[in-house]
Amino acid sequence: MAERTLHGTGATPRSGVGTVVWYGRDISLPDPDGVEVDPETEVQRFADAVDTARAELESEREATAERVGEDEAAVFDAHIQFLEDPTIEDAVETMITDGIPAPNAVDAAFSEHIEQFEGMDGRMAERADDLRDVRDRLLRLLTDGERVDLDDLPGGSIVLSERLTPSDTAQLDPECVAGFATITGGRTSHAAIFARSLALPAVVGVGDALESVEGETEVVVDGDSGEVLVSPDDTERVAAVSDSGAAVVDESVETIDGRHIEVAANVGQPAELEPAAQRGADGVGLYRTEFLFLDRETPPSEDEQYEAIREALDTFPDGRVVVRTLDIGGDKRIPYLDLPEEENPFLGERGIRRSLDPDSDLFATQLRALLRAAADGAGDLAIMFPLVDTVEELDAALEALDTAAADVECHDADAVDIEVGVMIETPSAAFMADELAARVDFLSIGTNDLTQYVMAADRENERVGDLHDPTHPGVLRSIHQTVTAAHAEDAWVGMCGEMAGDPDLTELLVGLGLDELSMSAVTVPEVKTAVSETEYSTASERGDRARLAATRSKVHTTLDT
Amino acid sequence: MTIERTVTIVPEAGLHARPASAFVQAVNDHEAEVSAGRPDGDLVQAASMIAVTSLGVGQGDDIELVADGPDAEAVLDELERILTTPEAELETDDG
Repeated sequence: MAERTLHGTGATPRSGVGTVVWYGRDISLPDPDGVEVDPETEVQRFADAVDTARAELESEREATAERVGEDEAAVFDAHIQFLEDPTIEDAVETMITDGIPAPNAVDAAFSEHIEQFEGMDGRMAERADDLRDVRDRLLRLLTDGERVDLDDLPGGSIVLSERLTPSDTAQLDPECVAGFATITGGRTSHAAIFARSLALPAVVGVGDALESVEGETEVVVDGDSGEVLVSPDDTERVAAVSDSGAAVVDESVETIDGRHIEVAANVGQPAELEPAAQRGADGVGLYRTEFLFLDRETPPSEDEQYEAIREALDTFPDGRVVVRTLDIGGDKRIPYLDLPEEENPFLGERGIRRSLDPDSDLFATQLRALLRAAADGAGDLAIMFPLVDTVEELDAALEALDTAAADVECHDADAVDIEVGVMIETPSAAFMADELAARVDFLSIGTNDLTQYVMAADRENERVGDLHDPTHPGVLRSIHQTVTAAHAEDAWVGMCGEMAGDPDLTELLVGLGLDELSMSAVTVPEVKTAVSETEYSTASERGDRARLAATRSKVHTTLDT
Repeated sequence: MTIERTVTIVPEAGLHARPASAFVQAVNDHEAEVSAGRPDGDLVQAASMIAVTSLGVGQGDDIELVADGPDAEAVLDELERILTTPEAELETDDG
């Protein structure tokens, strides 16, 4: 038996064993008993760190005010005020005088007020994040380079952290990481999605209990059960190591009766490309371009975007890479794009609605980058537009694409033929699938959003979690309607939501007529195996019975027999 | 010179967020030492964002201000202006 078992949410159906490395929050503070503190030196060190931090903040403030606007720069003013706050300053200096090293004093002084703010509601809780940022900035300066390098971890590391941001995961070398666990986060957090696409064992949302796990301890991270086992015994260790999932199938797959189904991967950043190929993905069915826009102060240039897409196309020389144009709004926010505050962001300005206006310049730049990459890259590029509701929107997007193509032909390269598609995520798009399909080469069903909008159930709200389930007959019928309409127009239909990655639903989806399934890389082998064990004629009958069922429980009975 | 004044808070956010930021900024821009508190409570340093925010004073609450220094009158005038201006109309230094 392991010494202790901690519980969180499993992010990947995988487990791994390794040695704990703490990252981030735990900026290895000195042992307060182990050092002789000279108060005068430590107070000076603290004052210097405050000066440096102020200089950093002022220059970041300037840069933001110039590139984005005064309103966005205001957050840095708040940070400067916290940095110079006499309450903190007095507390730190008192502690240092009492013989506590500067970093520990800073940590203690800030933590007290962070907890206090977290206990308050709404806007005050956000202030806790500001305080945390200022604390970490000071600690980084005071502990000077003692931060763990994510790109230089010893092999077999299990990374423990408060949370992992996109810039953190971008540095992680998957070869050296045996898994990770985070204090915060749920199944749809960035860390969880990242883990699935790399097939890394991961447990998220463990809570503060995780903090008690010391560095260098051996742990098992079981992404299936959502458990972290501290100091596992031999049986548990062996079980974790031998769990490597289904065998990888490199070839493309078809059903027993010969219907070809493309099985592709969803990719959110370049680091996920190679692992997706290694897990046997035929190509990329959803390339999210948002990562290029995160963690920076201005949008990426056309060349940067070209390079990123080029890399994807070269990773799948014989495959297809379906790139989704910029999809922000809803819960995806990018500070410098100045998104409006909306009462209902999921029903507001997101996806193609923003790309047509006000982000039409960004859209044009992105389309040019995509077309240039298509001309030079090895694989086949396909472009799809997110959250299209109407034919008018699609026509406007196609017009923007034509303009970009003319521009590229004029200046850069001969434009090549690419496939163009529309994502089906709203009831309107599903009802209008015939008209939309008549204008493009393919449709791709985004089941996370389609379910949310068909069922009117917030995907993040656990209270309506039962409604947010794509196996409700209402959702199955909208999928069937989309597939039938598209096939009548000779367009192929893919699916790129979480539903596509569930091997238990593969037979149903093949039966409903999907031509392509795209998912987090981790379940590509399972789904490929499931496709090759499916008989299309049986699946088709079963799909009909499932969609015609009156209730979700009848749908499930149909699937189980 | 020490002077006191009691002001009723107008901004909807209370003494939080932008109004708190402007309030602390104004205190720092003057020479006088300023403390603030609820009429029945202890006074805290008005130059501390954390201390000021922790008072938890909201719209409609009274706050007592005590200033000591050559520009005591001026700083209290400025603070009163900030605390009695609805948030939307509050101008920052940069306009």
